[in-house]
Amino acid sequence: MLPKSYVVFKWVVYAIATLFLCALQSLLLNHIRVLGLTPFLYPVLPAAVAMFEGSRRGTVFALLFGIACDLLLPAPFRGFFTLIFPVAAFVAGGVAERLASRGFLCALIVSSLGLLLTGCFRMFVQILSGGQYLALMARITLGEAALTLPALLIVLPVYRMIFRRCAADY
Amino acid sequence: MKRPSNHFFIVLLALAAVVAVLMSVMTYFSATSAPLPNLAGIIASPFRSASAAISDTFSRWTGYFTEVDALREENRQLKLQIAEMEETVRQATFDREENAHLRNLADLREQRRDLHFESARVLVQDSSNWYSQLTINKGSAHDLKVGDAVVTEEGHLLGVVMETGSNWATVRTILDSDSSIGSLIFRNGGSALAQGDFALMSRGRLSLTYLGTEPDVVAGDLIVTSGLGGYYPSQLVIGYVEEVKTGEDGRAQYAVLRPEMSLDGLTQVYIVTSFDIVD
Repeated sequence: MLPKSYVVFKWVVYAIATLFLCALQSLLLNHIRVLGLTPFLYPVLPAAVAMFEGSRRGTVFALLFGIACDLLLPAPFRGFFTLIFPVAAFVAGGVAERLASRGFLCALIVSSLGLLLTGCFRMFVQILSGGQYLALMARITLGEAALTLPALLIVLPVYRMIFRRCAADY
Repeated sequence: MKRPSNHFFIVLLALAAVVAVLMSVMTYFSATSAPLPNLAGIIASPFRSASAAISDTFSRWTGYFTEVDALREENRQLKLQIAEMEETVRQATFDREENAHLRNLADLREQRRDLHFESARVLVQDSSNWYSQLTINKGSAHDLKVGDAVVTEEGHLLGVVMETGSNWATVRTILDSDSSIGSLIFRNGGSALAQGDFALMSRGRLSLTYLGTEPDVVAGDLIVTSGLGGYYPSQLVIGYVEEVKTGEDGRAQYAVLRPEMSLDGLTQVYIVTSFDIVD
């Protein structure tokens, strides 16, 4: 069992890394437009953490990250990310635990799940509020996922480094 | 690794639902921003400012190398435009004097446009695939209110303040699908509604609807705010009609608007905190 101070330190490092990746979205990804679409990194982050840390810890991280996103990002309603990110992390953690390796392929699968779950939930909310353009929304969800997944080349090494360093130290 | 039970997940999801409901309720019942989002916005402000500064510096730096040809062409166009406008100004000066004289004869009140602006810096452009919003560095402490009109430095309508914190505010741009502004067709004074459209948002366009049974609108028409109801000042430029289309029902017509404001490289905006207009 890890000492409590070390556990706190590990999650502080995760939080700082997540802040860095959010800055990446704000500084770089927000300015990329391909066919009118922009990458959307936020659903990938809790899914990637859950892949390394497992469902339980990943879901708690996703809940806190979701609250932060709801307080700072536009969403269909306040609480949207708080609800969907834990679900995405739980699913991602579960899938990762069934796969042998937690490498790039696994990250690709769990991140895709995170992005698609978030997109589908957004569409569901739009349907409930009488929204139109469902085909367009589906196209945006898929395009957004395709455009965001290459960013895993940055996200994955960052979280893997934290996970491995912590595992190596203990 | 021990696998989490469904019970754990259900408890966590219930907690998430409670938090989500609390946040929604607080936002719903708060006149300005709810306490938690306000606090989060205040904490995030320095980071957002730093991020905006880095982004601006980088844009300026790359601009030196990429925009020279475009700027030369723009300069040439602007010189031509200035020559045309000087002629218009000469005529307008004459017209204004005549107008003042006629108003005096008819004993009408003098036209007046007093707009009070608060300048603000754009911290974040949340122009994601689903929304078109901005976060700016002024808030309720600077007299900003929900519903205030926001314009660019050229005076073109950019959007409307949708949420205010102490030192930050969120602006919904006219491209956002929830945006809806009372408008006038400048050429003939016909009223319409400039609405954000989800299908047009990614192209940087919005739609002009409620054109009436026999719409008199053509490509190139200038669209301005109507000012009806007193929510926004009148005569703020929204954009130009790009094309007129027929809706899915085959009867109602709508127009696609090309807004005059541009979100590219936008760093400074002006909020109309109060106005007094006599037309």
